[in-house]
Amino acid sequence: MAVTESSYSTGSSEDVIIETHDVSVYFEMDRGTSKVLDDVSLDIYREEILGIVGESGSGKSMFASALLDAVVAPGKTSGDILYHDADGSTIDVLSLNQEELRAFRWEKVSMVFQGAMDSFNPTLRIKGHFIETLKAHDFDVDEGLERATDLLAQVYLDPDRVLSSYPHELSGGMKQRVLIALSLLLDPDVLVMDEPTAALDLLMQRSILRLLENLQQRYDLTVLFITHDLPLVAELSDRVAVLYAFQFVEVGPVSELLERSSHPYTRALLNAVPTLQTPLSDMEPIEGSSPDPINVPTGCSYHPRCPLADERCIGEEPPFYATEHDDHQTKCFHWEDAISEIPLAHHKSTTGSSQIVEGKQSEEPVLTLDNLCVHFENNNSFLGLFGESQTVFAVDEIDLDLYENDILAIVGESGCGKTTLGKASIALQRPTSGEVQYRGDDIWAVKDGRSESDRSYSAIRRALQIIHQDPGSSLNPNQKILRTLESPIKHWKSDMSQTDRRSQIYGLLEYVGLTPAEEYAQRYPHQLSGGEKQRVALTRALLMNPEVILADEAVSALDVSLRVEMMDMMISLQNMFDTSYIFISHDLANARYFAGSVGGRIAVMYLGEIVEIGPAEEVIQNPKHPYTKVLKWSTAELDSDASQEELPLRNIDIPDPVNPPSGCRFHTRCPEARTECRVNSPKLEATDDGDGIEAHQVACFLDKPRDHPYWSSDQLVSEDNPTLVE
Amino acid sequence: MWGFLTTITSLEFKGGKAFKPEEEHYLCMHWTVKRIFQAVFTVYVVVTLSFALIRLMPGGPMDYLRATLLGPDQTGTVDRERLNRQIELYMNINPDQPLWEQYVQYMSSVFTGDFGQSIWFNRPVAEILLEALPWTVFVMGIALLLTFAINIALGAIMAYKEGSRFDISMTFLSIISTSIPFYVGAILFLLFFSFTWELFPPGSRVNARLDPWTFEWIMSVLHHATLPILSSVLIGLGSGALIMRGNSIQVLGKDYLRVGRLRGLPEGRLALRYVGRNAVLPMYTSLMIAIGNVFGGAVVLEEIFTYPGVGYYLFVAVEARDYMLLMGAFILITVAVVVCLVVADLTYGLIDPRAKGGGYDEHA
Ligand code: SF4
Ligand code: SF4
Repeated sequence: MAVTESSYSTGSSEDVIIETHDVSVYFEMDRGTSKVLDDVSLDIYREEILGIVGESGSGKSMFASALLDAVVAPGKTSGDILYHDADGSTIDVLSLNQEELRAFRWEKVSMVFQGAMDSFNPTLRIKGHFIETLKAHDFDVDEGLERATDLLAQVYLDPDRVLSSYPHELSGGMKQRVLIALSLLLDPDVLVMDEPTAALDLLMQRSILRLLENLQQRYDLTVLFITHDLPLVAELSDRVAVLYAFQFVEVGPVSELLERSSHPYTRALLNAVPTLQTPLSDMEPIEGSSPDPINVPTGCSYHPRCPLADERCIGEEPPFYATEHDDHQTKCFHWEDAISEIPLAHHKSTTGSSQIVEGKQSEEPVLTLDNLCVHFENNNSFLGLFGESQTVFAVDEIDLDLYENDILAIVGESGCGKTTLGKASIALQRPTSGEVQYRGDDIWAVKDGRSESDRSYSAIRRALQIIHQDPGSSLNPNQKILRTLESPIKHWKSDMSQTDRRSQIYGLLEYVGLTPAEEYAQRYPHQLSGGEKQRVALTRALLMNPEVILADEAVSALDVSLRVEMMDMMISLQNMFDTSYIFISHDLANARYFAGSVGGRIAVMYLGEIVEIGPAEEVIQNPKHPYTKVLKWSTAELDSDASQEELPLRNIDIPDPVNPPSGCRFHTRCPEARTECRVNSPKLEATDDGDGIEAHQVACFLDKPRDHPYWSSDQLVSEDNPTLVE
Repeated sequence: MWGFLTTITSLEFKGGKAFKPEEEHYLCMHWTVKRIFQAVFTVYVVVTLSFALIRLMPGGPMDYLRATLLGPDQTGTVDRERLNRQIELYMNINPDQPLWEQYVQYMSSVFTGDFGQSIWFNRPVAEILLEALPWTVFVMGIALLLTFAINIALGAIMAYKEGSRFDISMTFLSIISTSIPFYVGAILFLLFFSFTWELFPPGSRVNARLDPWTFEWIMSVLHHATLPILSSVLIGLGSGALIMRGNSIQVLGKDYLRVGRLRGLPEGRLALRYVGRNAVLPMYTSLMIAIGNVFGGAVVLEEIFTYPGVGYYLFVAVEARDYMLLMGAFILITVAVVVCLVVADLTYGLIDPRAKGGGYDEHA
């Protein structure tokens, strides 16, 4: 078809650094050739930041690997990839021999993978990684290490300490930043980043993006940023290319794409993302799923999911059309209609009061946490011979009530203790001190037989269920779904007949959207997608007829487009089954979506303490605590020209919970910190701005009247990270 | 408790927890002391157990020895006091004393290296074992090192050529070799190499007529040791190679290898520093456990080749109902196993940075 020839070309005079023509990546398999990248052509301009967006399995990682001719065997790459060096010479990447390729990679184009956790040799110190890279490319080691020190400092790391560490001694966010420094060690022109932040929590993602922007300007880099997360790149990129089913479907400057995207898929992607601005009611998941490489639909590959599809789309593959903007091209016959037919949610926008399903919450709490503490003893001392043991303050002095039909979202970055708090509240983790009460009975007293109550521990256990972050690991891989679901009921209601049991299971499976239920029940976990596994986990929890479900990052592992769908389902189940949720997330936007739609609350946690809590919309629209504001900042907004304000943190990494900072625990990172914060710790108290919402509480001196000693003490400047005060 | 704790903490605190070096040192210290204490305690318990066996078992060693000393006519011609003195000489236990005194005496003798007297050889047990120990260590040590080296090389090659004919046939052979009991191999070796072809001597450690430490003597030692070493190596091949193969294949699929390759590291460095090191490290513990088990294997092997090492004497002791020799060998082997395990545990942290002191995240 003539289509591919007329595919995307620049038509502008800008300086191109990498040209790709008809690049395909394919795997020869028994049942035929599987094309995981299908004749794509795209020019990458010098010193731009190009975002490449696609769902998982859309071929975006293949495109990244192809640029370095690094597709893993037995995959093969065909087409032309031309690299234009700064000195005017051109390198044909796919025809390089081993030795030339070795020099090309990392010196001209380097790459950062998603698996930063696993990108370092676990038995080699960080310094070794830098040295071996320098040696392999015949660079001067001393000079190189100086550059490394410089780079590490620029990504907010302490170079000496990091260089002498082993990989496992660093957190995920630290490793990712070290990897970025390592990839810039040989001064490449192009940096390819394949989902570099996917495994990190939002705040770290945002911080890394901010750093990346600085690095790009400082070293005149061309950056290719590959992700499934459109809002994330929107803020960073100059241009965005959208991949669907192994081909680019739309390419254009980021502002064009956000405001006038003309491919139905892009518009659907934009509408599927929860943000803090868009009205809750306007978000909608994309129906259907992305195609399998063996079985790509004919014509326009998006037609099975496209609301505008017609006969022509099914029979014929659309070419690229230029839109009004020169540089913006779309692979859709009906692109003009798409703009008018599919409205963008973030256009209607602004601080919307969404329709709130008034939760019919009870007077009496289901769960009560009373002065709850969970401390982990890192205790290895033998008869106390050597030094004192270390205490990890995972959860510290927390009071909370959870009512029937309630939703409480706990947010915070990893390491803040939110998972421990969640587990402690459903009695999966024994508190060090304090109480967890279930309808007035101290759960641990019941368990230990110390309680007068006639409630049994197993009944309480059944009433409090959990859904894990990683649905795969919580299902037995060797058992059919049916067995996994059946066994807990067998224990609980042993007199239930098999037919009753099964019909109950099938009914529920159908309810969570796994139809036909009989067929799903016969599958093994590996035959399910991530979203489907999560539904099975939810079904299993619901079968116990629970009163509280702890959803621990239950949607974080899902693709953006599936998250909203999953959350919708969980909310609709709440009304049916009268359950309450404790929803743990690092993403304020998800928390808002989940808690906001039924009038729930959001609690913001930092280093074991709740620093702000209140009705969801109130906390989001009117955050009081500086940390909540930081979290809000970290929630990407669909806004191409987001103000280039500085990182609102004095330090990227969360301190070690073994030794939490004195006074207000946030003072080491808080941009508003003053000397008073180092000495005294603020209590969680009702805010005092007279908005009449009593449930809104915050622990920060900023909220105190002017005569508070905070206002007269000195501003804290960063003493621990000199790179911050430039 | 620990496993539980680590799971919980690693869930939450994966981020942000970079131990400062001093803290890590702390943890190590606690743990080292604890581990050594455990080991000493284990040995203590085993020795106590041996006392209980000797002293308290009815019809056990005590009665047997008394019967032997009295001779066939148990008419009481030997007076009781002399009998008890004799028993004390052999067993470090005087039946006339109260039990706790017997216990104290026995324990202090054992811990000062006095294991009593062998009835069969009529020599101090300690002397016999001390003289036999170097030979066992020599034969089994060489066998073990060879086995390990070959296994590692073999496993690594198999992993690099995963799916090739070499890999498939070696995997098959390894499984067969693992499933053959090692004494079968030893007996076959003896049959062919010693009796049929007369290439190697069928028994003893060295030609006794040669002067020690001459060239001929050393050659004779090696000559005598060849068969036991060879049979134990050949039979030991297989399972280790399969483990190494599995480990290497796992490492070959790791992202860090891919990133290393992208960074342009030379293949040699990738093979040794990346694949090799990361695949071998988890096997270190199993090497140490194997050292401990060596003595067990030595019992049958040395018996088959009539090679007078610790294992051989243990076998003789069983046959001759020479309880003191048996106990001595038993305690010696226990100590060896315990020491090896402690050394393995304590040194693993040194050679594998991932294993923090006190952490039980085994990667084996
Ligand atoms: S070409 Fe047709 S099916 Fe494809 S995106 Fe456009 S309207 Fe939808
Ligand atoms: S109390 Fe001080 S340090 Fe803590 S959040 Fe408020 S201003 Fe920041």
